[in-house]
Amino acid sequence: MDHFYFRIKRLAAVIAVLLLYPGTAFASDETEALRQELTELRQQMQRLQQTYVQQINALEQRLDGLESKADTQAFAAPLMQAAPISAASNSGIQIGVSGLFAAGGSSVDNNALESLQGGAHDPGQNGFTVQNVELSISGTVDPYFDAQVNIIFQIDADGETVVELEEAFFTTRGLPWGLQVKGGQYFTGFGRQNPLHPHSWDFVDQPVVLSRFFGGDGLRSQGVRTSWLMPTDWYSELLLGIQNPKGETVTSFLSAPGEEIGGHILIDRAARNVGDLLYTARWLNGFDLSDTLSMNLGVSSLWGPNASAATTDTNIVGADLYLKWQPAYTQRGFPFVSWHTEILKRRYEAGDPGDPSRETLKDWGLFTQALWGFKPGWVAGLRWEYATADGDTAADPLRDTRQRLSPNLTWYPTEYSKLRLQYNRDWTQHLPGKTADSFWLQAEFSLGSHMAHIF
Amino acid sequence: MKIVNFSFGLLLLMTSLTSQAALRIVTTTQDLASLAETVGGEQVQVQSLTPGTRDPHFAAAKPSMIRKVFRADLLLVIGAEMEIGWLPPLLRSARNPQVQPGNPGYLDLSLVVPLLGKISGPVSRAMGDVHARGNPHYWLDPRNGVRMAQAIATRLGELDPANKDRYQRRFGAFAQTMESRLAGWRAGLAWLKGKPVIAYHKSFIYLADVFDFRIVDEVEPKPGIAPSAASLGALITRMRAEHIGLLIMEPYYERRSARYLKEQTGVRVAVLPQSVGAQPDVNNYFDLFDAIVAALNNAGGE
Repeated sequence: MDHFYFRIKRLAAVIAVLLLYPGTAFASDETEALRQELTELRQQMQRLQQTYVQQINALEQRLDGLESKADTQAFAAPLMQAAPISAASNSGIQIGVSGLFAAGGSSVDNNALESLQGGAHDPGQNGFTVQNVELSISGTVDPYFDAQVNIIFQIDADGETVVELEEAFFTTRGLPWGLQVKGGQYFTGFGRQNPLHPHSWDFVDQPVVLSRFFGGDGLRSQGVRTSWLMPTDWYSELLLGIQNPKGETVTSFLSAPGEEIGGHILIDRAARNVGDLLYTARWLNGFDLSDTLSMNLGVSSLWGPNASAATTDTNIVGADLYLKWQPAYTQRGFPFVSWHTEILKRRYEAGDPGDPSRETLKDWGLFTQALWGFKPGWVAGLRWEYATADGDTAADPLRDTRQRLSPNLTWYPTEYSKLRLQYNRDWTQHLPGKTADSFWLQAEFSLGSHMAHIF
Repeated sequence: MKIVNFSFGLLLLMTSLTSQAALRIVTTTQDLASLAETVGGEQVQVQSLTPGTRDPHFAAAKPSMIRKVFRADLLLVIGAEMEIGWLPPLLRSARNPQVQPGNPGYLDLSLVVPLLGKISGPVSRAMGDVHARGNPHYWLDPRNGVRMAQAIATRLGELDPANKDRYQRRFGAFAQTMESRLAGWRAGLAWLKGKPVIAYHKSFIYLADVFDFRIVDEVEPKPGIAPSAASLGALITRMRAEHIGLLIMEPYYERRSARYLKEQTGVRVAVLPQSVGAQPDVNNYFDLFDAIVAALNNAGGE
C-alpha cells in the first residue's frame, strides 16, 4: 500500500518538473542563460517580498502599541518626548573614610591632660593627635537585612597604630508591627551622645560624665537589641537590649581588672548566667512642636554586674533632651539653633555583703550644649559640664567635682570637611592648680559615600 | 446559612472599609505632594517630609519623618542624589518594607524624566556639588511635571486597581490643563527667549530649557560653594561685557551677593519660588509656574 503511494507521488513530481521546465530536455547555451536569469529574478523577488513583509509587520506592531496607549497619552503627547529610563545601580554598598585630627596645647602637662581629656578620641596631648580615622562600610545584605561595619585606626600617645573593630552589626528590614532587631557589636543606645561617632560630635572631645561612666571609647559591646516603633500619634520608640558586660569598652560593668574605682580594686569577674548580662533600655520620643521647632526627649537605663566583687551590680539612668529650631527659609540647612542636654546618674555597689568596705558609690553628671549655625557653613557652640560624686572624692580624677566650659567655632567649607577651634576651661579638685586652659584646633575630611545628615 | 450570611456581611464590611481607607502617600518635597494630590484626589492622603521653603538636599532625618514613612503606602522621591543625605538612614529606621527601593511602594521620579546636566567624563568633588546622574531640579519643567504625574497615576492604579480609571482620568485632565497653561506661560515669557541670565545656584537649567533662555553663569563659583569677593568681581566683568540683565535665585539664598551685583551692574534680580510652598501663595504645581512667570515679568518684563 505504502510503496504504491510513494510511486504515485514520485511520478507526479516528475510530471510537474517536466511541465514547469519544458526546455530541460532541449538544453542549449541560450536556454541555459535564460534559466539563470530567471532564477536570479525569482531570488530578487523573494528578497523584495521578505523586506516588505518585515516592514509591514513592524508598522503593524507600532500601530498596535500606539492604539493601546492612545487613551492615556492623547493629552500628553504634544508635551512629551520619550523619556529614557535609566537603571539605578543596586549594589547599594556605601564606603567612606573619615579622618579626624587635632592640634593644640594646654596649660597643664600631658599627664594631667590624660585625666582631663578622658575620651580615647579626645585630643589628649600637647601637639598633634590623630583622633580617629574611620573606615565605614554599609549596605543592604538582602531583602531581610542591612549591615554596617566601622573600623577605627588610631595612633596612640606612644606612636603605635591601633586598629579597633568599633562596630559590626546587622539590622532587620522587614519585621512586622514596627519591630526592628539589631545584632552584633554596636554602640549601646544610651542617650543621644554615646552612639555618635567622633566625626559627628559637636565638640572636639567627649563629655566628662560619659568618659567617667562609659570609659574612653564609649559604651559598646556585643549583643542583640529589639526596638519597637509604637503606634502612638507622635514618634515613640522603645529599645530593649542585652549585651556582654565584659571588656574594656564596658566601663562601670565587668571591665579593666586590676584598676580601681573609689578605692576598690576591680577583679576579673565573668558573666556566669543570664542574670549577669548587661540589660539596656531606652525610650525615645520625638515631637514637631511647630513648623520650625522640633524636640526629642529620651530616658535610658542600664543594669549589669560590676567587677568590684562577685555579686555586685551597677545601675545607670539618664535623661536627654534635644531641641532644634530652624526658620522657614534655610540655605544649606542654615541658620539653626540647637540645644542638647543630658543628665546621668550612676549607682555602683562596691563590695559583697559582709565586706566591711562595702558601700554604694553614687555619681552623677550633666552636660548642656547649645549650637548656633549663624550663616551657611558656620557654627558657634557653647558647652557647660558638671560631674560629681558622693563622699570624699577630691583626689580622684574620675570622681572629683569638676566643671568644664567650652566655647567653640566650626567652619564647614563643604559637607565633606570641617575646621574647628575650641577653648576648654576646666575647674577640678584633683589638679594641684585646680584649673586648666586648653586650646584645640580640629580638622576633618571625609572621603567616599555621602555622610548622613545628623538631626 | 447564618454563617454564610455573617461571613458575607463581614466580607462586605471589609471591602467597604478597605475601599474607603485612603492610600497614604508620603513625598520628600511639596512639588511631589501637589502632583500626588492632583492625581490621587480623595482616594489618597498626602504628606510631604520637607517644606517648600527649604532646600530638600539639606534636610535631616528627624523622628517625626520616621513615623510618617513607617505608615506610608507609597513613598515618592525626587531621586538623582537629591535626598542622599537623609533618605537612606530614614528608610533604614522606618521599618516599612513596602516603601523600600525596588518595591511597589517606592517611586523614584528621576527615572521617568530625561535628566539634563549629566556629567560625562571624570567627576570629582573638587567640582563642588555635582551630580553625575544629572541635575536633580527637574520638576521646574512643566513637561516633566506631566511625566511625573503620569508615573504617579500609573503606580496608584497598580496599588489601588479599583480606582485605576479615576487616576488615569485625573492625569488626563491635568495634562490637558498643563498643555494650555504652558502655552500661556511661554507667551508671557516670549521676551525672555534667547536672553542670557545669571542664576545663583545650578538649579534652574530645566526652567531655562522650557522657556528658552540661556543660563550663562552662576553666582556660586562652583555648585554649593559660596561666592567670594574675587569670584563676584570676575562675574561683574563678565556681566558688563556680555550685557547680562537678569539674575534669578531661590528665596532661601543670601541676598547680599545679589544686591552687590545689582549695585555694580544694574542687573535686575528675580527671586523665584523653586518649589510648591516656597512662597505663601504658591499652593500647587500650577501656582508655582504662575508665580515664577509673574516674578520674571516683574523683574525683566517690558
